[in-house]
Amino acid sequence: MLLAQESGAAALYAGGTELLLAMKSGLLAYDALINVKSIAGLDAVAADDRGVVIGASATHSAVERDALARERLPLLAEVEHSVANARVRNVGTLAGNLCFAEPHSDPATLLLIYEAELDAQGPSASRRIPVGELQTNSYETSLAPDEMVTAVRVPPFPAGMSGAYSKFGRHHRPTLGVAAAVAVEDGRVADVRIAIGCVSPVARRLPRSEDVLRGERVDGLAADAPALREACRLAAEDADAVADLHGEADYKAHLARVFLERTLLRALGRNGSGGDA
Amino acid sequence: MTEREFRTVGKAVRRVDADDKLSGRAQFTGDMSVPGMAFAKLVPSPLPHARIVRVDAARARAMPGVYAVLTADELVNMETRYGSDKKDRPVVAMDKVRFQGEPVAAVAAVDLATAEAAAELVEVEYEELPVVSGIDAALDWRGEPVHESNLCHEYGYEWGDVDAAFRNCDRVFEDTFTFPMVYHYAMEPHVCIASYEPGRIRLWTSAQHPFLVQAEIARLFRLQLDQVQVVVPFVGGGYGSKSYTKIEPLVAALSREAGRPARLALSVEEAMRTVRRHAAKATIRTGVMNDGTIIARDCVGYVDTGGYTDNGVRVTERLADRMPGPYAIPHVRVKSYGLFTNSTPAGSYRSIGGPQAVWACESQMDVIAHALGLDPFEFRVKNLVPQGEEVRRGKRPIEGDLEAALRSVADAFGWEASRERAASERTSGPADGGVKRGVGFACAVTNSGASPTSTSLARLHADGSATVFIGSAEMGQGSRSAMAQIAAEEMRIPYEKVRVVASDTAAVPWDRSTGSSRSTTLMGLAVQGAGADIREQLLRLAAEHFEAFPDEIDAEDGQASFKGETVAFSALVREMFGGSGGELIGRGYVTPKHPSGKLRQDPVFWEVSIGAAEVEVDTATGEVRLLRYYSVSDPGKAINPKQVEGQDEGAAMQAIGHTLLEEMLYEDGQLLNPNLVDYRVPLFTDLPGEFETVLLETGNGPGPYGAKGVGEGGIVCVAPAVANAVFDATGARVSSLPLTPERVWRALREQQDA
Ligand SMILES: Cc1cc2nc3c(=O)[nH]c(=O)nc-3n(C[C@H](O)[C@H](O)[C@H](O)COP(=O)(O)OP(=O)(O)OC[C@H]3O[C@@H](n4cnc5c(N)ncnc54)[C@H](O)[C@@H]3O)c2cc1C
Repeated sequence: MLLAQESGAAALYAGGTELLLAMKSGLLAYDALINVKSIAGLDAVAADDRGVVIGASATHSAVERDALARERLPLLAEVEHSVANARVRNVGTLAGNLCFAEPHSDPATLLLIYEAELDAQGPSASRRIPVGELQTNSYETSLAPDEMVTAVRVPPFPAGMSGAYSKFGRHHRPTLGVAAAVAVEDGRVADVRIAIGCVSPVARRLPRSEDVLRGERVDGLAADAPALREACRLAAEDADAVADLHGEADYKAHLARVFLERTLLRALGRNGSGGDA
Repeated sequence: MTEREFRTVGKAVRRVDADDKLSGRAQFTGDMSVPGMAFAKLVPSPLPHARIVRVDAARARAMPGVYAVLTADELVNMETRYGSDKKDRPVVAMDKVRFQGEPVAAVAAVDLATAEAAAELVEVEYEELPVVSGIDAALDWRGEPVHESNLCHEYGYEWGDVDAAFRNCDRVFEDTFTFPMVYHYAMEPHVCIASYEPGRIRLWTSAQHPFLVQAEIARLFRLQLDQVQVVVPFVGGGYGSKSYTKIEPLVAALSREAGRPARLALSVEEAMRTVRRHAAKATIRTGVMNDGTIIARDCVGYVDTGGYTDNGVRVTERLADRMPGPYAIPHVRVKSYGLFTNSTPAGSYRSIGGPQAVWACESQMDVIAHALGLDPFEFRVKNLVPQGEEVRRGKRPIEGDLEAALRSVADAFGWEASRERAASERTSGPADGGVKRGVGFACAVTNSGASPTSTSLARLHADGSATVFIGSAEMGQGSRSAMAQIAAEEMRIPYEKVRVVASDTAAVPWDRSTGSSRSTTLMGLAVQGAGADIREQLLRLAAEHFEAFPDEIDAEDGQASFKGETVAFSALVREMFGGSGGELIGRGYVTPKHPSGKLRQDPVFWEVSIGAAEVEVDTATGEVRLLRYYSVSDPGKAINPKQVEGQDEGAAMQAIGHTLLEEMLYEDGQLLNPNLVDYRVPLFTDLPGEFETVLLETGNGPGPYGAKGVGEGGIVCVAPAVANAVFDATGARVSSLPLTPERVWRALREQQDA
């Protein structure tokens, strides 16, 4: 494979929306660029037995508009529409977004609650990587230098689960992203998935907040319910917010609390049992 | 005699450059190419403050395709430093570097890629110096200062007996406000092509003041004015960033070194390291009586002018001029200081010192009104300078009726009703958290116009069409259209028959500058003079033609008439020259002694600025949403009402940047957000849903038909009006800009703790 031959001197080029900015400002330099978009078939959005397979050269716009994605992953399609601006969405790819590992990413946060996986292809072997194991730090991934992502596999939410996503910030990229999905059975939270991103180098699930909510009665989950408060308080702690150009850590921790509450209430609302959907 | 009706003045005629700009035909400097032209790349200093030990350009010079490398060693047989008030800026860094990004060298090569590669090969050895960051550090500095000291300029004035007045008033308020460094973001960054030949320099450049660039280049290279030609094609936005001289000396010196024309086009990232607006800190102490009468004001302001003076002297002075506000105050003392720090030099930016001064003054006006339990609007009205009285002792009295202007905005905005509605929503809403609404107000007058010196020439051709020659740079503001309207009106010919030739020092007569809201007023007067000169010549020719007296002749629509008989202007011109050709030449001079008598006093005029804002604050996150903004603009007489609105709205939109979003962040002299992804400017989606300009045409300006300048006024009131609205909504006062959600959230928390 080309990437292996060039041994570190080459980079994959998908939409170039990150790569070219970084190269122009002198942060990155490569001898060669390998155009992902010229690899046939990688732009497809297709179904598999578990869900939707989004090819590595599918752009944000393609995902946002794709009929299959809209039907089976409506929240992803909605969030893809809110990424960046039309110009970036029209050329920037979902895979490129994830592989760049910029901490302020909407899909990197959202795909955690979809429990998505990536197909990675090396010179001799291929493997599946849970989306939460791709990014290891700011701008760092677990991909080997000669590996590339060929597809993002996104299973839809289990039946009965609905989700919501909130983003906040004044910069081009989000300062905070919170994703939550809730399944309700017999008036109780049967399952819940929560993820937070942008406030720390790597987006993460918030298992302690999830645990607090599991089994709670839904009709009691108003804004000031103790379980909701506790889940939000834990989110502020577990987010491990760090300071950067978007703000100080204590402010981000506060935002985590505010937006987890708002996002959960919206997700419950969409469930049809928690209020005014 | 009945008033003659205007034919084109006062009408929103189509811009003369509309077709060229819409079709992409319009030529900007970046579109141009000169035969044999080399491409240039700067070698910027990575360090904000350092002594230059050694510059070694040997490897770069040896690279194939490189024509020349300019370093300080090449600055011989010329003056080496330039600047509008203080000549402290070297053409390339000489002894030391004073800000990150300062050019230490520049490469000229066969193409840009070669120039960029060669620039990487220039080796510079530095000896690091401690970094002066920000106003407070500059004031209290023990290390090596940026220049001989960190003080660039100081200024002040005083009247009355300030100390005694403070002892005698009921209450004294003292508040400090800070304003961030911001970047202009002209869509076209600086670009210049220079061609140096022995005894002659030609420059094509994105400059606002072509004649000041000409004079500076002539001085630097020891040439006469006639040996330097500066051509300014269309400029893709200036906002002050292209005032005075910026990259031109470097490009001219590089061309001299390369022996061929050289072109330097900056990126946005480089433009952010070329010029910015001054950060400021202002403390205002105000003494009032319990009934709301202001007795005394004592203002101290500091501006951060960065690594070099650039326009720091004037900005320091304007900050002081504009700090006390448009109020009649018997006892005033103002001091201001310009300070050097290790950051991008700060220059002109739409209303120099204005937004900084008015941010402090008008924020404090609300603090006082609230403490005294007065309506902030009525508190201002109570203290306004009456029409015809001096706002600054010894300066031109206020031409306009400020109270009437304030009331017109309050009416259009629905000040009282909006204020009450927001208040009742707040009390009926949830007790804590939630979204709250509020309204805010601000007003100011700013001394504008720079200096009253311009000239113009008009030529009426043998076919009745005309060409007008002006020095003003067209940078989007529409000056060519306004000048064509004035010329057409004066010459009594249709607007469509006037062509404007602008900003080429070899072709057009002298003008001081394009800035300070001055062109329509001052160049407008010059054009009016040139047009009137032609009209008078036509009337004399027509009088000869009809064997009548000039005052018996009517002139309109390209022809003269007398007792029912008409003759075309074109025929009169041909008659004069006795053949098929010929033309009339008209000239207009504008000096402080202009016969109108209106230009004797400083300033040329007071630009009125008023803003009213309604906001929504999400108190959980601190996010401020601007829902409505009303601005007033008083052009005296709107030569082109659409363009006046465009100027006012553009200025207000730009101000949304420093109000809610923009701030250049430095850490140890390194710019942390040096590009447009990390430094966010306003987008159309940031505009308020209701965004209005109220046009007042008070007719009292010194310009043609009573016109006076606009273009800067719209930028100064947005920040205080919005911050005052945030205060009205939440009771939290934010004293630093921009009003980021985090800042507002912290202010809300402090207020809860208090
Ligand atoms: C102005 C602006 C605003 C933005 N706003 C948002 C926002 O609101 N929310 C958000 O989430 N994001 C935002 N982004 C980020 C945007 O989503 C990404 O720029 C885009 O998705 C990256 O995709 P690309 O195809 O252009 O990647 P490229 O720039 O082509 O590549 C990015 C990196 O990934 C590597 N790479 C690309 N494809 C692969 C692959 N298949 N396998 C392995 N490595 C690969 C490249 O080598 C490179 O290092 C914004 C970006 C900009 C410029």
